[in-house]
Amino acid sequence: MSDAIFLTTFPGDGGELGALIRSFDWSKTSLGPLKRWPQSLKTVTGMLLLSPVPMVLLWGRDGVMIYNDAYSEFAGGRHPRILGTKVREGWPEVADFNDNVMRVGLAGGTLAYRDQKLTLHRHGRPEQVWMNLDYSPVLDESGTPGGVIAIVVETSAQIRAVAQLRESEARFRALVNATSDVIYRMSPDWTEMQALDGRGFLADSAGPTVRWMDINLFPEDQPGVQAAIDEAIREKSVFQLEHRVRRADGTPGWAFSRAVPLLDAEGNIMEWFGAASDVSERHRAEQHLQLVINELNHRVKNNLTMTQAIAAQTFRGAEDVAQAQAKFSARIMALAQANDLLTGERGVDVALRGVLEQAVSPHVAEGPDRCRIEGPDLQLSPKTALSLTMAMHELAVNALKYGAWSTCAGKVELTWKTYEAPPGTTRLRLEWRETGGPYVSPPARRGFGSRLIERGLATEMAGTVTMTFDPQGLVCVVDAPLRAHGR
Amino acid sequence: MTLRILIVEDEMTIALLMEDMLVELGHDVVGIAMRLPQALELARILSIDLAIIDVNLDGLVSFPVADVLHDRHVPFFFATGYGAAGIELPYKDRLVVKKPFYLKELQSAITRATT
Repeated sequence: MSDAIFLTTFPGDGGELGALIRSFDWSKTSLGPLKRWPQSLKTVTGMLLLSPVPMVLLWGRDGVMIYNDAYSEFAGGRHPRILGTKVREGWPEVADFNDNVMRVGLAGGTLAYRDQKLTLHRHGRPEQVWMNLDYSPVLDESGTPGGVIAIVVETSAQIRAVAQLRESEARFRALVNATSDVIYRMSPDWTEMQALDGRGFLADSAGPTVRWMDINLFPEDQPGVQAAIDEAIREKSVFQLEHRVRRADGTPGWAFSRAVPLLDAEGNIMEWFGAASDVSERHRAEQHLQLVINELNHRVKNNLTMTQAIAAQTFRGAEDVAQAQAKFSARIMALAQANDLLTGERGVDVALRGVLEQAVSPHVAEGPDRCRIEGPDLQLSPKTALSLTMAMHELAVNALKYGAWSTCAGKVELTWKTYEAPPGTTRLRLEWRETGGPYVSPPARRGFGSRLIERGLATEMAGTVTMTFDPQGLVCVVDAPLRAHGR
Repeated sequence: MTLRILIVEDEMTIALLMEDMLVELGHDVVGIAMRLPQALELARILSIDLAIIDVNLDGLVSFPVADVLHDRHVPFFFATGYGAAGIELPYKDRLVVKKPFYLKELQSAITRATT
């Protein structure tokens, strides 16, 4: 039998390694040329070449390496250089480990390692790997171990995946601990709450409970929440709702809640994982804002109605349009000024002196001592202040046009005092007195201004308002109970 | 037909406007109340055919006035800047005129309230 014929028959096929083994010059190794190999060696070599499992045979005292295609992938950059080399030289970085393998194997023992951690230099740099290693002795013709066969399965990918999973779990735990949100888990149909970490906002629930709705929600809010849950289950989509909750202390609060369904491989809901944040404060602020908006809207409407009233009164039967327009403008200005008194919070009183000064000062004629405003400090409700502003505006405009301020020296004295009136009530007496103006006679026709003062202000203050057209000048006296005009 | 009407309105100029409008429509304004106590008093004692009530009287709601009128079987409707949204039970279904309003709106509200 010639060498050539033998080589075509052993090893038969065996993939890339089969071909390499056939063409390798084994005569330079302790194994000698292929044709001299003992049958035991050929049998094991033929077997490993046909195996899809990574295997290497370490033959002889030095452990000369013969391996298969699957092992060549594991060997990386070392392949094909390590074929036919001593294991000690092929893997110098794990020489001690392999020395032990050879010692035990050739003595007839077996070794098994699970997820054995090794540092290999397969690609010219150190690399952490994990492997399942199984070593068994191979008997030669003499019936004693002639070598060691190793099944080498790298488990690095699985080990890394497990480590990554563990890290990911740890990160998830950290996230759950870092957030101030309530964290909860629900059964697929939400009938059972598996766990809830209430964070002091909601009552904690360590174990599963089917009573979670009664614990966390008020009865009247349950249908609305249930409807949103049904929708999320039907769509297998995110549950998201801002809803009222019963807080841990039993009082109502508001939560912004979001839960996502966890689906299995078939797309069925396994459970719901949710987080809810405490938005009670924000909700309170929004409600307050809504009240303010309503109030503001009311004031706007009221102001427009007042503007409507002033326009109707000012232009009614006006003969001189330009004059009526000027009058209208001035009245709107007074209204705007009076509104400044109302911009404070409802129910906050304003100083009488400030109201009078603000209403009168835009119209005071130039010159010394044209206007004296004097009286004790008093507080008025904003509403009364507004009416008084409108009335004072009318008196001031009238004085500038026809009265004391229409001449170069006329004066207005605006004074007030309080006095005790039986039975034990305090009254206010406010007097507007003009002097030094032209001779005054009662007007032929009473306009809106007079009506506003005599009728409107009197009703507003629940008192009397008298206008006396004294020849020396107009005198207007307001006499009203203090505080009786309020609440 | 000339009606005897009570105005409950806390804004002086608006009260005067309503008075003018009502006179123009041929009615008698027999009283104007700008605060809750006065409104309650007038609602109790005046002989009236109709009352027009603002909801907010210097920070107080006027529903007690409505209660008095209801007990006396006096027709009334609300005039308010809040519109119907500002009306509370049991007056939710009462007629409401939204401020500001046209003379016509006031007229039709009066007709609806008194027939």
